[in-house]
Amino acid sequence: MAHSLSPECTPLKQAYDACFNTWFEGYLEPAIAHSKNVPQGQRNEYAKKKAEEFEQKCGAVWAQYKECVQKAVRDRGLEDLLEQARQENPLRHPPSTSGGSGSSSTS
Amino acid sequence: MPFFSQSFKYECVNFMKTDRTPLMLQRFFSHPWSHVVIGIWHKYPNPHCTHVVTVDVIDRSVDSDTGIIRTERVLGCKQKTPVWIVKLFGGSEDAYVREISFVDPATQSATITSVNLSLSQFASCYERIQYRPTSPHQTMFTQTAEIQARMAMWRTMTDRVESWLVQRFEQNAKQGKAGFSDVLRTMWEPEQPQLSPGAS
Repeated sequence: MAHSLSPECTPLKQAYDACFNTWFEGYLEPAIAHSKNVPQGQRNEYAKKKAEEFEQKCGAVWAQYKECVQKAVRDRGLEDLLEQARQENPLRHPPSTSGGSGSSSTS
Repeated sequence: MPFFSQSFKYECVNFMKTDRTPLMLQRFFSHPWSHVVIGIWHKYPNPHCTHVVTVDVIDRSVDSDTGIIRTERVLGCKQKTPVWIVKLFGGSEDAYVREISFVDPATQSATITSVNLSLSQFASCYERIQYRPTSPHQTMFTQTAEIQARMAMWRTMTDRVESWLVQRFEQNAKQGKAGFSDVLRTMWEPEQPQLSPGAS
């Protein structure tokens, strides 16, 4: 696994990445299958259940890692650059699939 | 080469570059969409992409209604910068990129958007990657990039900055494809018999 911005965050990052990967690898295939075979309401139930499970399993290590990496971002003077990039293009929702412009893809 | 193409066939379908229009690359991975998307999180570190040295998740959410996973990351890169760029803009070998990805299992679409944080006051490079299934065993990879100098500069200088960024994009795109192919092969084809006389 890749390193963190700050060496002191690397163990937390790796623990968090491992937790996410395990969860994600269990989540993805059933999520695809559910979306194909099950009515809308039930798929949402699956997503809801798995989102809760992710929080339960990885929430604690995420909180620790996040605190560490936020400090690393500040220490490297990246906070303002990130804020500016977020203002220009928040990307809170998936971009339209037509490709092309990277700007104002929020709908 | 036969070993190479057997284990992951890909072809370059399209590569276009005209003034100020997005660069676009389209290729195929001989892996199911789900394998490619799981592989995304295992791409670095990568001997083909040694310029990416750090990867950090700074935000992530799982939408409990749609099942879409949004991830925001910061990538730290070290890459030699031409002397004339450093003289002109300052900066150093360390460059940072903001990357936002969406994985949507329902539509089987994954999009990754990246933009440079470093030197962003001078030029921006928006890159977008999309992975979509073309069959149960093949995934299409589309990469576009828009590169633009931001400040009013002499035309020749703008052209020079843009062409340097275009070159870097092309180089990194090539390395990125090779690196990711290796990752996918290692992850999903561990039993591949070593038949190729050319494989080292």
